Amino acid sequence: MGKSHTEQCEIDMTPMIDVVFQLIIFFVVTMKMSQDSNMDIVLEDGQHGITLTSENMPPVTLEIEVDRRGRVSIHNATLSDSNLRDIMRARVNKYGNEFPVMIRADRRTQHEKVRKVMDICTASGVWKLSFVAIQEHKARGSK
Amino acid sequence: MAYTRKQNKGESPKLDMTPMIDVVFQLLIFFVVTLKQEDILSKLTAARPAPNTDERVKDQQQDLINVIVAPQGFVFNGRPMRLQELDKSIERLSGYSKTAMVIIKCTSDSPHGFLVQALDVCNKHGMTNLSIFSM
Repeated sequence: MGKSHTEQCEIDMTPMIDVVFQLIIFFVVTMKMSQDSNMDIVLEDGQHGITLTSENMPPVTLEIEVDRRGRVSIHNATLSDSNLRDIMRARVNKYGNEFPVMIRADRRTQHEKVRKVMDICTASGVWKLSFVAIQEHKARGSK
Repeated sequence: MAYTRKQNKGESPKLDMTPMIDVVFQLLIFFVVTLKQEDILSKLTAARPAPNTDERVKDQQQDLINVIVAPQGFVFNGRPMRLQELDKSIERLSGYSKTAMVIIKCTSDSPHGFLVQALDVCNKHGMTNLSIFSM
């Protein structure tokens, strides 16, 4: 038999390392290091609304959060009524009263608390408001 | 000055890849574990007229659909009902006109979830003219 037993078969690692690096870069890019919205808010289901994507959510969109107890915040930073009023006024001055406002309120919040936010928006001249709902549950732990 | 040059000809230097692969796999596992899938969200848009326009709207529009959102459920044309019944009622009315104005009146102690449910039902049947009032 003419087989050489001393020669070792070597696997070329380069393609595997390439793929692994690609995956790592993908995860690094897509990972959100800090949560910039209030995660305690439980949203109501709403399958029939317009799906929120980065295309139909322009950067000027203002997302106002109202938690279960009625705490009003933007990007998880608590706001007083006068703060919100100032922000709305500044936005209307800059973009006009047609800019998109989304209210992300907890399903258990009393309407009274959401009404306060809606009234501030209406007083600033923004009369078209959107409410955020869950179209499809994907996150772990959500129902 | 004479110096000798040491070279090992013919033998290519080999890089040990094992530690690098170890580290890379550790990183990969970390990112896979920490990756969180997000819910798909939707938005339900409605008009919120100023409080003093309430009466004017009522005078102008004839075909109004009145939905009251109360803490116990919904009241449609004076009749208390649950979400499924509201769904059927809106479906029936949407057959006549999709542009009819739907006025959703919320009592101050009603949960916000009910308002979203009512808006969702209206969106389901293609009702486009939605207004929210507070009671």
